[in-house]
Amino acid sequence: MTSGSERPEEGLGERLRELDATDSPGSEAQMDRMFTDMKARCDKNDRTLTGFLRSRSTMARRLIVLSVFSVLGFAGWFAFPLIGDNARTVPWTASLVTFCVLLVVAMFMVTRPVHLPALPRWQSVCMACVAVGATVLAAFWPYPAAQAATHDHTGGVVVGACMGAGLLLGVPVYALLRLVDRGNAFGSLVAASAAGLAGNFVLKAHCSVPGTSHELLGHASVALLFVVGLGLVHRVTQKPT
Amino acid sequence: MDAYIDGNEAAFRALFERYGPILLRLTRRHLRNDELAEEIVQQTFFRLHGARNDFRRGSKLRPWVMTIAMNLVREHWRRTKRRKMTSLEVDTRAAPEADFMPIELRQRSELLHVALERLPASQREVVELHWFQERPYAEVAKIVGTSEGAVRVRAHRAYTTLKQLLVSEIRGDE
Repeated sequence: MTSGSERPEEGLGERLRELDATDSPGSEAQMDRMFTDMKARCDKNDRTLTGFLRSRSTMARRLIVLSVFSVLGFAGWFAFPLIGDNARTVPWTASLVTFCVLLVVAMFMVTRPVHLPALPRWQSVCMACVAVGATVLAAFWPYPAAQAATHDHTGGVVVGACMGAGLLLGVPVYALLRLVDRGNAFGSLVAASAAGLAGNFVLKAHCSVPGTSHELLGHASVALLFVVGLGLVHRVTQKPT
Repeated sequence: MDAYIDGNEAAFRALFERYGPILLRLTRRHLRNDELAEEIVQQTFFRLHGARNDFRRGSKLRPWVMTIAMNLVREHWRRTKRRKMTSLEVDTRAAPEADFMPIELRQRSELLHVALERLPASQREVVELHWFQERPYAEVAKIVGTSEGAVRVRAHRAYTTLKQLLVSEIRGDE
C-alpha cells in the first residue's frame, strides 16, 4: 500500500492487509441515507445567521470580527469619558495594548479554519490563563498617588457596578466569537477569555476608581468569571459528538 | 470541489460518494461504533460544507477531509476520555458487519481493532493515515499538525508494537 522503503516490514504489511480486508465500506443505501441526512442538516444551517457567518471564508470572518471590535472600541472610547490625564500612565497604556493584542490572538484562535489540525488543548488553556493573569497583573500596576487621592474608594457598590458593566460588555464579544466559530475544540473557553479581556479593556480605559483591591474584585474578576463560568457551563452542556 | 463551490449540488453528492466510504472505514477503525462513525462522517461533510469558501481552487481535497475527520475523532476521544486499556482477547460485540461475517473473518477484524486500540492515539492516527490511507509521511505530518520527523518516529514505534502484537500471532497460526 505505502511506497518503497517507507512501508513496514513485509510480514506486518501482509498481516495488516489480511486483517483489514474483512472491513467493508458502507453499502450504497447506507451512504445514500447518510448523505440525505447530512444535506438536510447543511440546508437547514445555511438558512440561519450562524450558518451564514460560519460559511464565510476565514479572511472574511476575521475581518467581520475585527470590524465589530473596532467600531465598538472607537464608539466606547469617544462616547464615554476616559480616566483623567494624570492617570494615563505607561502601565495603563501597556495594559490596554496587552488586552488588545490578547484579544486579537484569541480571535485568531477561534476563527482558525477547520481544515487545519486542531490546536492542542494546552494552547487554549494557556490562552485562558494568560487572559486572567494579564487582568490580575494589570490590577497591581499602581495609579499615580495624585489620582488615587482624589477618590474616596467605597468598595462594594463600585466593585459591583464595574463587575456588572464588565460582564455586560463581554457578552456581545463572546456571542460574536461563538457565531463565527466553526466548531474548534475549546473555542468556547477562548471566546470566554476574549470576552473577559474586552470587559477589562473598557473598564481599564474608563473606570477612574483607583486601588488594587477594586481592580482585582471589580475588573479582574470579570475575566475569571467568564473563563470559569462559561468554561464550566460549556463543559456541562457539551454533548458528545 | 471547484464545481461544488460554484453551486453545483450534484458535485457535493459526488464528493460524498467518493470520500464517504473512505472516511467511514477510517472512523470505524478508530471508534468501533457504526453509529458514531456515521455521525462523524456526516459531521465531516457538514464542516466541509461550512468551510467550502476557504478551499483554494486546484488544491487537493483529500487532506482537507482527512484533517477534518481526524480532528473530529480526536475531539470525540477527548470528550469521552476513552483510553481504556484493552487486551488481545477477541471481543465480537462491536465488530463491523459482524452478523454477516464468518467467525474466522470476524475474529481477524476484531484482532486488528484490538491491536490498533492498544496504540496511543497519536500513533494510531499515523498508522491510519500512512498505512490504511496510503498517505506519504509529509502529508500525514500536515494532517496531524506535527513535523515529518515526529511522524516517522511515531510510525516506527507503532509498527514495532503492531508487529509484536500481530506477527507473533501469525507464528501462532502456523
